[in-house]
Amino acid sequence: MNNPSVHFDGVSKVYPHFSLDDLSLELPTGTIMGLIGANGAGKSTTIRILMGLVHQDQGRVHVLGREMPREQAAAKLDIGFVSEDMRLYGSATLAWHMKFVRSLYPQWDQSYADTLLRRFDLKPQQKIKGLSHGQRVKAALLLALARRPLLLVLDEPTTGLDPVARQEVLAELVAVLTDEDRTILFSSHNTSDVEQISDQITFIDRGRIIASDDKEKFLDRWRRLRLVLSPEADLPSLPGVVEVGGSERLPVLVTNRFDPAMVSACNDAGATVQAVDPMTLEEIFVANVHSRREKQTV
Amino acid sequence: MNYAIVKRLVLKDWYLQRWAIMASLAGVVVTLGIIATGGKVAFLLGLILLIMVIISIGAQMAVATIVTERKEQTLPFVMSLPISYREYTASKIWGNLLIFLVPWLTMVLGSFGLLLWSPSSRGLLPYAAIMSTEILLSTCLILAVALITESQGWAVAAIMVGNLAVNGIGYVVAHIGGIAKGMWGPTIQWSGAASAVLLAELTIVALLLGGTFFVQSRKKDFL
Repeated sequence: MNNPSVHFDGVSKVYPHFSLDDLSLELPTGTIMGLIGANGAGKSTTIRILMGLVHQDQGRVHVLGREMPREQAAAKLDIGFVSEDMRLYGSATLAWHMKFVRSLYPQWDQSYADTLLRRFDLKPQQKIKGLSHGQRVKAALLLALARRPLLLVLDEPTTGLDPVARQEVLAELVAVLTDEDRTILFSSHNTSDVEQISDQITFIDRGRIIASDDKEKFLDRWRRLRLVLSPEADLPSLPGVVEVGGSERLPVLVTNRFDPAMVSACNDAGATVQAVDPMTLEEIFVANVHSRREKQTV
Repeated sequence: MNYAIVKRLVLKDWYLQRWAIMASLAGVVVTLGIIATGGKVAFLLGLILLIMVIISIGAQMAVATIVTERKEQTLPFVMSLPISYREYTASKIWGNLLIFLVPWLTMVLGSFGLLLWSPSSRGLLPYAAIMSTEILLSTCLILAVALITESQGWAVAAIMVGNLAVNGIGYVVAHIGGIAKGMWGPTIQWSGAASAVLLAELTIVALLLGGTFFVQSRKKDFL
């Protein structure tokens, strides 16, 4: 098995009002991981530690086999990084940025950069300050992709874009990502963006990883069951129930370990299963967060 | 330390600040021209303008290449490149100093030339050397504060302190016996006091730059 591209082992970082707590994470080479969390959950701190821009207080971080932050310069030679708070120089043209980045990366692929210019509909002679926000994000993506990185790190790249620009950027990103196998870490609080791109999902909340698995496993295992209880029946005991809502007679259960056999188990217990609804990634994330927070407060 | 990367980053700042560099050079040449016209009023006016231009370019560069880089969020782009903190710090110190040294050296050589050309004012040369170095020191102070704090407020405070220091030290040095004695004479009188002040200034410059490297290397959060 290949070494993971990213390996976090017991990483902690304490700020006065926020802490990243004992974070362990592996991103296998060739996978696209979506890092989902609410604003302030710790996504950007995690990514900054990954990039070597913030030092962890405890724990070890290896990226592409390099120890971070000590070997950050060597590691960043093979990382393409785009973040929501990253801006290019407004007074310079995209062509100047391309020339500048090319001078730092021996593996810069000019023909691929030209392809991306056409695909993203960008004009190299245009100054960055004259570009729309969507075009600026595309320009930053071009600069990250044309250096042919082994690892692409995208920290909320679609935040702040209007819906049209967001869909354009995502569509282009999906098209670009199908070009070849890449290892990608994509963070967002927008689950639908992550769902379109990722094959692995990690949920982070209040500085802790609360779940990490294949996207399909999440979507397969999480279900919302709408039951009708007969007056004499009790709520059946089902595995993996993380949330109970609805009313006493018409309960709605959310389980993270759904199995078709549950339906017959409910029927046997005197409960009729009215519907088994699949859940979106956003619903799974919200249910997961609520369940963990309730456990913490108990 | 990857010097090739540091050089690329320095060239980047030079390119992005090219208009300010050219404007400051033009300002220095114009003010030296005013001084060269020979009148006493022209000399004083030119000198004040010259000092203003030099201090402004040092402060402007530190703010534009360091504080604004953080404020306008181009720092994450720079730090995404294959560089370490040390290389970033080195590029900012070298970049700013080299940019500053262009108009500063023009000022030093121009003013020394003018003083040597006019026999009656040659005695001012030690004082001019001390004050030129004091302007360099003030610029290093602004650079150090801007790099360490990355804060506009602190950078502005450093600019104010630097400006006050130029005036204050200018006054104090002009009243040091060994320096004041031959200041207005036709011959250069390089005293021990002048050497001591100059050495102290250069030592502080070295301490400021070395201290900046030390503090930067101990930083744990760079973004």
